[in-house]
Amino acid sequence: MTAEDSTCPQCAADIARADRFCGSCGATLSEIRRVAVPRPGRYVDGPCADCGNDAHVDEYCTVCGHRRAEPDRDQAEVGGIVLITDRGLEHARNEDAAAAGTVAGNVPEPDSIAVAVCDGVSSSRDAHMAAVAASNAGVDAMLAALAASRNARSAILAGLADAANAAAATTNASTSPSCTYTAAVVVPTSAGAVQITVGNVGDSRAYWFPEPPAPPQQLTVDDSLAQELITAGASADSDAVQRGAHTLTRWLGADSEVKPWSDSNVHTITPAGRGWLLLCSDGLWNYLPDAADIARLCAGLDTAAAASVLVEYALDAGGQDNITVAIVPIGDFHEFG
Amino acid sequence: MSSAEGVSGISVDVDHNPYLAEGTGTVDAIVSITAGHDVAGNPSGLAATTDRVEAIIIDCSKSMQSPIGKFDAAKRATAAAIDELVDGTYFTIIAGTEEAAAVYPADGWPTPASAATKAAAARAVDGLRPHGGTAMGTWLAHVRGIVVAHPGALIHAILLTDGKDEHETPEELGEEIGLSEGEFTCDCRGVGTDWQVDELRAISSALLGGVDIVADPADLADDFAAMMRTSMSKSMPNVTLRLWTPAGARVVFVKQVAPTVEDLTQRRVESGNQIGEYPLGSWGAEDRDYHVQVDVEPAAVGREKLAARVSVVAGDQVLGEGLVKAVWTADTALSAQISRRVAHYTGQAELAQAVQEGLSARKQGDIKTATAKLQRAVELAVESGNDGTAKLLKGVVEVDERTGTVRLRREVAAADEMALDARSTRTARVRKET
Repeated sequence: MTAEDSTCPQCAADIARADRFCGSCGATLSEIRRVAVPRPGRYVDGPCADCGNDAHVDEYCTVCGHRRAEPDRDQAEVGGIVLITDRGLEHARNEDAAAAGTVAGNVPEPDSIAVAVCDGVSSSRDAHMAAVAASNAGVDAMLAALAASRNARSAILAGLADAANAAAATTNASTSPSCTYTAAVVVPTSAGAVQITVGNVGDSRAYWFPEPPAPPQQLTVDDSLAQELITAGASADSDAVQRGAHTLTRWLGADSEVKPWSDSNVHTITPAGRGWLLLCSDGLWNYLPDAADIARLCAGLDTAAAASVLVEYALDAGGQDNITVAIVPIGDFHEFG
Repeated sequence: MSSAEGVSGISVDVDHNPYLAEGTGTVDAIVSITAGHDVAGNPSGLAATTDRVEAIIIDCSKSMQSPIGKFDAAKRATAAAIDELVDGTYFTIIAGTEEAAAVYPADGWPTPASAATKAAAARAVDGLRPHGGTAMGTWLAHVRGIVVAHPGALIHAILLTDGKDEHETPEELGEEIGLSEGEFTCDCRGVGTDWQVDELRAISSALLGGVDIVADPADLADDFAAMMRTSMSKSMPNVTLRLWTPAGARVVFVKQVAPTVEDLTQRRVESGNQIGEYPLGSWGAEDRDYHVQVDVEPAAVGREKLAARVSVVAGDQVLGEGLVKAVWTADTALSAQISRRVAHYTGQAELAQAVQEGLSARKQGDIKTATAKLQRAVELAVESGNDGTAKLLKGVVEVDERTGTVRLRREVAAADEMALDARSTRTARVRKET
């Protein structure tokens, strides 16, 4: 066995460096890691915030009956990717969700990455269920697709399909939860660069920040009434655009179209150098729509600090909506220039 | 719907709309309690051998003499009930007049059922002759006096009468009923049409049993046998519904709504901070539905509160539990929804009330009120699919098929009217929402 070859972790058969599957037992040779926020079943410790009583049963206060509060914020990291979701200041609960994961091959090539951010549509009951289901199903499908083949576009499409099904499956007789969905897949290319593919339904966004002086750019196009008006020639500052800013034209959920996305919702770039990706819900970009402003705010910070600075910015600006950010460093990237 | 299953497998299902509009706090829930055969047969935490005590009270007042055959039918019915006793069940037969007298065993103390004791009891019953008056309170007092020897047992009485409670005041009867509550359960039967539905219902309702008319004495034996079989199928005595509510909440009502309507609100026994217990009587493999209405202090939009925790308790053992949650929302489309089962059972309770009030008005000659109430009852019975009550109503009123308007019948058979009254609390079930 050479240094570049290894053995299958399942059956110990010899495998070659380029193998995606063990030729002997068929096991997938990729290690998959994933995280998601907000994690369910987490509660704030300590006495009841409403009456000060100390005892809770089934997460309900034994005196006043209030449900124990869940933390306002949840944060997770995997393979350098940072996810933060925050309730914000105005909404009673967090209806956003995010998930991310990495697929390591059996060779020392960079991990492939899948990330998704979902924003529950507040006008639907139990919208958080759709957001959690879609972000988890989307990332799972993308990671499974990446484990089988390093094809970013087909991984994005697999994620969209499973996320749509998962969101629709949260429907029951009395409610039809729905959500936005924005995903990114990052795969290494043979030339040592990376390919980034994004796909979205709704108005959660993906931005790309190459190392300066290259200009940052928004990769996604919102599925919103405002965007349709702008595309039709209306001014971004016009009243009509402002009013329509949050009216979605596409979403995931049982009451959406069967396949509420088209080829124009999927975009691929192949950047030359290092940089970072940002996926976020409108709880952030409402206050920071411009990529250049985001880049300025994050200058000199590492990924975790940048994610938390962005969330704090949205909170300071009013925190009208749930805020979710996912930051993905690309190409041995550690600090924001 | 939330569902919880205790260790013993009694399931408690809560069906309600948890969403409340801002500033409101009234929570309605239907709580369905189901005990399966495995549970009822072997409830964990209960003594493996729970004593059973059965008391059969047979009215021996003079009026039982006529018409000919009535008293013989009552004796045959008592024998039929004795025949259904599971061996080992402690039993006693009581002759009810203006006082209560032991028929079998002669000393009055319940004796275990066996082929020999059952035969001896049947012979003793056969020798009974009608001779006195009617004072049902003394009958209940007699049962109360003999069951003290069997604490924690499944204690059940069958009370048969054919007439009014004439030899004691309503206050005396009321006092005896009150003293007997929680001591034993009691099913009441009126034979013929000279007895008072209200009177027997007061007894059966307080003692968590049923009331019915057996208009034809010939039907008594089958009815008694069925009643005793049902009683033999009970395995858990003194089951209670424990209700926890949050601080500042008010329990508006707790009603059994299936198989019959029974308001338990006033039966509450405080059993701790924010906790009250309501007696459910004895249970076998069966399911019953309860409607609980609680007023809680409103919380802010988006907040969630536990409006009630409903536990089914036998002895010290919690057999099952259900949570009634409340979530405040600004979305009126959510808060305006009414659970289908809450709506259905609200209608069934109104139906029972409309029937009773309509019949009461009719007795007092208030034709206008009687017609209006029974019209409403017909509408509710038809709408909700309560075919039993709808059919019984037709014995009392004529319904114009075209307009649906109702007219009181000029000639109403007393038995039809009493059957409608006695069975007015029976409800139609609706399928659980899933």
